[in-house]
Amino acid sequence: MFKNKNIMITGTNRGIGRTMLEAFAREGANIWAHARKETSEFTENLKHVSEINAVEIMPIFFDMTNSLEMKQAVKEISDSKKTIDVLVNNAGIAHGGLFQMTSLEKMRDVFDVNYFSVLELTQLISRLMVRQKKGSIINIASISGLDLKAGNCAYGTSKAALIAATKVLSYELAPQGIRVNAIAPGLTDTNMTVLMEKKAGDAMVRETALNRLGLPEEIAQTAIFLASDKASFITGQTLRVDGGM
Amino acid sequence: MTNIEKYIQSFTAAFDIEAEQCEGLEYQGIETWDSVGHMGLIAELEDVFDIMMDTDDIIDFSSFEKGKEILGKYDVEF
Ligand SMILES: NC(=O)c1ccc[n+]([C@@H]2O[C@H](COP(=O)([O-])OP(=O)(O)OC[C@H]3O[C@@H](n4cnc5c(N)ncnc54)[C@H](OP(=O)(O)O)[C@@H]3O)[C@@H](O)[C@H]2O)c1
Repeated sequence: MFKNKNIMITGTNRGIGRTMLEAFAREGANIWAHARKETSEFTENLKHVSEINAVEIMPIFFDMTNSLEMKQAVKEISDSKKTIDVLVNNAGIAHGGLFQMTSLEKMRDVFDVNYFSVLELTQLISRLMVRQKKGSIINIASISGLDLKAGNCAYGTSKAALIAATKVLSYELAPQGIRVNAIAPGLTDTNMTVLMEKKAGDAMVRETALNRLGLPEEIAQTAIFLASDKASFITGQTLRVDGGM
Repeated sequence: MTNIEKYIQSFTAAFDIEAEQCEGLEYQGIETWDSVGHMGLIAELEDVFDIMMDTDDIIDFSSFEKGKEILGKYDVEF
């Protein structure tokens, strides 16, 4: 489905990002695989995924909150003269805590990674997409950004802001042929969930119609759909992938 | 192609105008140089001169003349 297409995914060293990397590669996409830093495990996985799917996988490294490193990486992509067809903003951090017990510094940290850095990267990459007048941007948000509840003053609000930005950008970038959508996963089986308080996690699962955690592959398949031409008339939307809530 | 020729060509391509119309042109001075057209122009310039502009410079890029001054920051000489 994505033969000769180039896709950038952030946070591909683990969790949903890693599964998306593998799923897009199976669909024939060449991938700019982002991670915060280089490790032998990451390099080996990229080599393996590239070989079994006969696709090109190019690693890029930067901390999402480091503007300079981010710009250098995007310049590298730009210099490669390859098109960039899809951007998946996946990297993110979780945080749960009551408002009165969350420092402003923590709120800023969460917003820096989950919101501001995503906007900065999107600004840079969308400028490359404007040249080819085509592109698809997918923001990995969360149901916590839609169903705002107690304990979500940092993470939930950062994802709510991302969902709002998705809508705004969808209007602004549509004239340039760029679609912008978000996915709002429910609780998904990754390390992020493991770090959650067990009681809260179990309660969230019980609330779902399907009564289970989501699988990273289920989020990846939604991203594949939104990135593909099958979703050519879909923009500005936030798709819940949450097992029914 | 000289830098000024490339510069003019970016304007003509982005705004669908003739080369003679470029001199003295200002942001929103013609219908096609609106905010959407502006991003198209920036994309052209970044591509042609192989640069990546800072957001502040994109905002400051208010005329044909001012643009030349801004590109100077990126070692594009006219
Ligand atoms: N799992 C869930 O239940 C769930 C539910 C809804 C939404 N989501 C969203 O889905 C996305 C992926 O989550 P996940 O479950 O796969 O989480 P994860 O396993 O914790 O992975 C997070 C990824 O983001 C990267 N990252 C975090 N901060 C970074 C930074 N400052 N610079 C560069 N990379 C950074 C991590 O890199 P390092 O390894 O270097 O830290 C890692 O690759 C996130 O946006 C998350 O909010 C997850």
